[in-house]
Amino acid sequence: MKVGLVQISSCLGDVQKNINTHLNFIEKAKKKNVDLLIFPELSLTGYSLKDLTQDVAINPTDSDIIDRLKAQSHGISIVFGFVEEKRRGLFFNSSAFISEEKIIHIHRKVFLPTYGMFEEGKLFSSGNNFQTFITPYGPAGMMICYDFLHYGASYLLFVGGSEIILIISAAPGRGLTNRESFASSHMWELMGEAISRFSSSFVIYCNRVGFEEGISFAGGSFIYNPAGKLIAKAPYIDENFLIHEINLDEIRSTRKKMPYKRDEKAEIILEALKRIVRNHEN
Amino acid sequence: MKINVAFVEKILILFIREELSKFDYKKGVLGISGGLDSSVCAFLSTKALKPANVIGLIMPYGKTPSRDLDEALKLAQQLKIKSKIIDISPMLDIYYKKYPTKNRILMGNKMARERMSILYDFSAREKALVLGTSNKTELLLGYGTIYGDMASAVNPLGDLYKTQVRQLAIHLGVPERIVKKTPSAGLWPGQTDEKELGLTYEEIDKILFQWVDKRKSIKEINDSGFPKEDVEKIINLVKNSEFKRKLPQIPKISERTVGHDFLFPHDWGK
Repeated sequence: MKVGLVQISSCLGDVQKNINTHLNFIEKAKKKNVDLLIFPELSLTGYSLKDLTQDVAINPTDSDIIDRLKAQSHGISIVFGFVEEKRRGLFFNSSAFISEEKIIHIHRKVFLPTYGMFEEGKLFSSGNNFQTFITPYGPAGMMICYDFLHYGASYLLFVGGSEIILIISAAPGRGLTNRESFASSHMWELMGEAISRFSSSFVIYCNRVGFEEGISFAGGSFIYNPAGKLIAKAPYIDENFLIHEINLDEIRSTRKKMPYKRDEKAEIILEALKRIVRNHEN
Repeated sequence: MKINVAFVEKILILFIREELSKFDYKKGVLGISGGLDSSVCAFLSTKALKPANVIGLIMPYGKTPSRDLDEALKLAQQLKIKSKIIDISPMLDIYYKKYPTKNRILMGNKMARERMSILYDFSAREKALVLGTSNKTELLLGYGTIYGDMASAVNPLGDLYKTQVRQLAIHLGVPERIVKKTPSAGLWPGQTDEKELGLTYEEIDKILFQWVDKRKSIKEINDSGFPKEDVEKIINLVKNSEFKRKLPQIPKISERTVGHDFLFPHDWGK
């Protein structure tokens, strides 16, 4: 399966401009026989929306923007980010998985960062699920940016049967070290390695680049294979269109060797979790 | 506090380039003094925009040490940027003839605002965006003139401490004589920042870094060996200069108010 990661910058608040960028990349991807094309978080709108959030929202059941994307999804699956108005006046930071003219799944960001430089809790309702869904390439799950830094979210996809974990992101670069990257980029890679290895799934992370409001989005999109090995990596900070062929049979061979998935005891975890949460032990 | 200078250079160059192109500018204008910060900003802008698109204004007041003027001129020549010397003495002297003062701080502020006024005039004349040269140390201490040298359209060095700007300067190849020069706001002959602040930039930056970046409490900073009175002095400077880092307060009386709950992004549509 050929995966394409579109590590770009979006035009803030200009959906018309961004949809054209999306369509261009879809066309390019088709020429290169990409099966699954992934755009970053809020790719249709840009990230630092503030009061623009409500103006750029889309209801996917009634949107010519989404219809235009759907129309291009023959023989290619597309993941992108947008502001979703699910019900009148309820806005979500969402990602959609589109294939063969259908929306197969919408994930609504559960963990909305609202601290320091982030204010998503002021702008969005939070989603309430991490659901594994069936794609043409097998069961998969989606997360949006900060979702992925809460490892319980990955656990739910692992238990739910996901073999491919897709993360779309608008992660700012933060912290300087002696390395030629932001300190924060290392955090994502660490999580990518750990989750791919211990869920024996592919972890595919697509981050954006560019500046908004002085914030530099760090890029560094990546793919880890089910054995926790980094198999593709886009550069930091610079725009990039990364195409990489992944071998889904690696899921089988890895799980034969390390049966984390077979040996998982979700029932025990569930009961223990119930006890902990109900007894307010946390 | 050590930074990867090549990485920082790359980000700041991308930043300058992207900010200008977003707002449809090809050129940048900045004041060059012959000091460290403006030299580093001039180097970065030249790399980001090409020399022909950078305008360096050298704006001495009568008593500016001629060494600084020479330094600024040499720098402009080295970088092959467009430069212009604009003496601000006539404008200021006319004013001070009418409203005399011997207060050197007042005069320093007025000079900084005169320079700002010229930079913004050239911004409009040349369709060039004003590039600021304030570093993180200055911004935090409020060691600058509000609506003077603290005013700009974009401020590439605003998240680098003075000592980090120095690291970057060495990497960029800023002449050694500028890197090693004693920092001075040029307020009066012989004035130096460190004498005025009572601490070296090394000391100030270490304290600020612990407090701002590492989120240590004042007690933790004291306990880790920084003299209590130094820490207190620094924190007070930060505390008393917050107004310099904000837009003016607006009393909220309507349903929706600029700055309070009318909050659109700066980069709207960009």
